Amino acid sequence: MGSVSEEKVSTQVGKVQVFRGGVAGGPPVVYLHSAQGESAGLLLLERLADWASVTAPVFPGFGESEGIEHIDDVEDAVFHLLDVFDQLGLASAAVVGLSLGGWLAAEIATRYPERVSKLVLVNPAGLYIAGHPIKEIFGRNLDDLAVEMFADQDHPVAQLMHHMSTFATSTISGEIPFDMLRPLLQAQAATAKLGWDPYLHNPKLARRLYRVSAPTLIVHGAQDGLIPRAHAEAYASGIAGARLVDVEGAAHMLPLEKPDELDRLVREFVEG
Amino acid sequence: MPLRFFSFHLMPYPALPPDYDGPAWVTCPNELFDPAIGHEVYNRYLDELIYAEELGFDGVCVNEHHQNAYGIMPSPNLMGSILARQTKRVKIAIVGNALPLYDPPTRVAEEFAMIDNISGGRLIAGFVVGGGPEYYSFSMNPAHARDRFAEAHEIIMRAWTEPGPFEYVGKHYKLRYVNTWPRPFQQPHPEVWIPGAGSLETMEFVAKHHYAYMGIPYFHISVFDRTFRMFREACEREGYEYDPLQAGWLEPIYVAETDEQARTEYESHFWYFVKRLLPGINISPPGYTSLRSIENILKGAGTFAINLTSWDEVVEGQYAIVGSPETVAEKLIESLGRLGTGNLLGLFQLGTLPGHLTRKSLELFANEVMPKLRKEFPEGARVLRGQSAVA
Repeated sequence: MGSVSEEKVSTQVGKVQVFRGGVAGGPPVVYLHSAQGESAGLLLLERLADWASVTAPVFPGFGESEGIEHIDDVEDAVFHLLDVFDQLGLASAAVVGLSLGGWLAAEIATRYPERVSKLVLVNPAGLYIAGHPIKEIFGRNLDDLAVEMFADQDHPVAQLMHHMSTFATSTISGEIPFDMLRPLLQAQAATAKLGWDPYLHNPKLARRLYRVSAPTLIVHGAQDGLIPRAHAEAYASGIAGARLVDVEGAAHMLPLEKPDELDRLVREFVEG
Repeated sequence: MPLRFFSFHLMPYPALPPDYDGPAWVTCPNELFDPAIGHEVYNRYLDELIYAEELGFDGVCVNEHHQNAYGIMPSPNLMGSILARQTKRVKIAIVGNALPLYDPPTRVAEEFAMIDNISGGRLIAGFVVGGGPEYYSFSMNPAHARDRFAEAHEIIMRAWTEPGPFEYVGKHYKLRYVNTWPRPFQQPHPEVWIPGAGSLETMEFVAKHHYAYMGIPYFHISVFDRTFRMFREACEREGYEYDPLQAGWLEPIYVAETDEQARTEYESHFWYFVKRLLPGINISPPGYTSLRSIENILKGAGTFAINLTSWDEVVEGQYAIVGSPETVAEKLIESLGRLGTGNLLGLFQLGTLPGHLTRKSLELFANEVMPKLRKEFPEGARVLRGQSAVA
């Protein structure tokens, strides 16, 4: 199995964490994480590293990445990611993004199509579809969120979310140190900067999708309870030649639930 | 220690149906609001504040909350302007306007100055960041709450104290011509109060500007001990000893003829408030509070009134001070002395407490408790002046 290791990269906003690894000379693949900040230990990255040259930047405010105080909106986020691409010498790469990461991938692909060779959007946020709202993610009980995000409630991360739903109470009673709550609060605050208002979308993105020149694959988790399929359909119809694939047995956190299947889809799409 | 008495009104919606068990905030369905009840209680609540002047209070307080049943006062400035005409002597404390929700915030400078002019200089200007639920109700990004507050505050204080027109260019507000008419009646500006729930940033901000800090209630009294100690320390770090008039303690109070009668008359109305109107108030949207403040607030969060289960806990933690005039006076003297707060903000009407009981409690407090406290803290009512924000 391939492996990735952690690096720190200096950017305009500060030092950020990046997970890199894989086959030297393999096709460059960038993975942009969701609001959950899935990066460290993500099995999908190891699968991708079997055949690709993988780069998974950790967005400011998540993990150990600095600089969220210099990022106010999607505009700033796109410039930051361009900066990361430049620092790592990525002239062009296949970009895979989940949810928030899918939104950011689409933003890069509309504004700087030359930097994106292939585009894979997994349960992407970023659009507003009347009548098909993205469920609330802020201030929600993690118990309820886990049900919307995982097809399999026995998945270890779903289980962790169920345990964590009592975190605040346990922190108050002193059973759990505040430091364990800290990363979660930071990740939510960073996400709020990009997606509080407008809620997880850019009103201008839909009419810019025609700018995407990369071959595009949209992957929808059939059991996703957070972002309705209508969003995947809108991306698929807005990007010329885009293909939409449904993955059964997966909800919002598809890369965690179906890493092998997603790896296969990405590999066939990138190598094909 | 100087001591001033204020009567604070939340203007709660007193008629949530018994079978509704959802939050009183943000998503509480507005079809539950009955305009006939609205008409009745708005006028009754205003009368209760006006009555406080007759009874000898130093001031009255109103505040701002949106899309909720806890306090149906989205515009406290409307209430303040009515009070400016219908009272003649009391201070009118609007605590406060949620500055980040006003765009441009010169609107606050204008409306507050209007009320100050109409009332002949009786306004106390309260500025708040706005509660967590407000950021949901306004779809306002909580990550920018503190920044917007800081900028809006600077704009308002400069609008009141600097000759206009001038240009203001900040991150959130860009105003080419700031030139507020009218100017405030009180010069250089009205007294400034800032309510806080234990956030360090807020205390440091208040201490820096020599404003007054109002402790938000509904926690165990020990949380107030810590809060006001932290505020005094924040003033010391700014290089001065704090003035008791820089601190206000907001406390539900109910006075009746005897301790037993007080509890009998009051308890169910208190539980309506705690169990029906508080749910949903304590949501903290992401980025709204710094991590070090969250850590500090969490220390007291376990004692939040919403978790109360018995009347004994209410009494022990002083979530409300309820009893005969003697009992209430004794408890207030002890706590005021210990907390060192020169402003007592009594919350007399609470939850479903009806008009006749509210007025009786106000009367007993004014006639029998207030004289005892004035005797205990004889220095009398002074006026606090904050330093100019831009000094």
